[in-house]
Amino acid sequence: MSEIKIIITGTPGAGKTTAIAAISETPPVRTDTATTDELSEVKEQTTVAMDFGELTLEDDQKVFLYGTPGQRRFEFMWKILVQGGLGLIILVDCTREDPLADMKMYLENFSDFIAETGAVIGLVKRDMTDTPPLDEFYQALNQQGLMFPVFEVDVREQGDVALMIDALVSLLEYS
Amino acid sequence: MSQVRISENGAQFCQSVFDDMMTQSDAVYGVLISTVDGHDVVKCFKQDMPASKLAAMMSSVLALGETVAIEADQQQCRYVIVENSNGYILTLRLKEKLVLTVIARANANLGMLHSITRSAVEKLAEKLK
Ligand SMILES: Nc1nc2c(ncn2[C@@H]2O[C@H](COP(=O)(O)OP(=O)(O)OP(=O)(O)O)[C@@H](O)[C@H]2O)c(=O)[nH]1
Ligand SMILES: [Mg+2]
Repeated sequence: MSEIKIIITGTPGAGKTTAIAAISETPPVRTDTATTDELSEVKEQTTVAMDFGELTLEDDQKVFLYGTPGQRRFEFMWKILVQGGLGLIILVDCTREDPLADMKMYLENFSDFIAETGAVIGLVKRDMTDTPPLDEFYQALNQQGLMFPVFEVDVREQGDVALMIDALVSLLEYS
Repeated sequence: MSQVRISENGAQFCQSVFDDMMTQSDAVYGVLISTVDGHDVVKCFKQDMPASKLAAMMSSVLALGETVAIEADQQQCRYVIVENSNGYILTLRLKEKLVLTVIARANANLGMLHSITRSAVEKLAEKLK
């Protein structure tokens, strides 16, 4: 494996675009446009096609990172973006109403892809809330027969994004 | 639901512009105005097509076109044209937050489509706030 493709997904505003901007070694490709609907109360811009960034791991392995749009109407992009991908990072925004349900929904949305590859869960905005507890995410994964690492991360920090990527790469290498 | 709504008056004006386009070229069978973030606003389709799905897709396509233009150092993206065995799909920005998409059969003349679309955009941009 000298080049690997990783996909980052999650609800609108979870921080997919932020994560890729934080870690990419090249200026990230962004396709954010103005929000014109109720999301504009939360953020001014939203991704409508994809984010793209690159980085190099210690062993010179190249990682291509693709961020999906979060909103459901862009579901067709999810299917396009996962093609050829080797793993998925699901960002779960813990300030939303039901983060556990969000995680389950994204596991379901990408179930075919995950079944062939693997996933890492990143719990974001933990500085704003410490619920639900980490355990509940592991339990929820367990109930679905899944064993994926779960991290509390701040995707604005390069190191936190790197942690998830490293975990995903090792998960894939040893599975 | 989109927050971009146009008045009944505005919608009528759009429809009249769409009608003109279809009269100018009978190859045109669909015109859609949508938002840059992928919601449909007004449309005139002579054939059944999924407007909400197209609205989302056209915002992705246009965003990618605009991004590619920048990456390739070709400045501002004017149109994105998808040329297919059965027709053309032309899309471009209409003011800051809207997108105009024109769908035409293969017998369309691409030069004609350009000019019809350009003049429609001018009329629409002037009228829409
Ligand atoms: N307080 C806090 N804010 C965060 C954290 N992580 C991300 N954010 C903020 O959350 C917002 C995330 O926005 P984006 O990166 O555009 O989100 P996205 O997932 O790409 O959203 P869509 O493209 O609309 O699906 C940014 O304003 C970040 O600064 C965190 O851990 N704590
Ligand atoms: Mg984004």
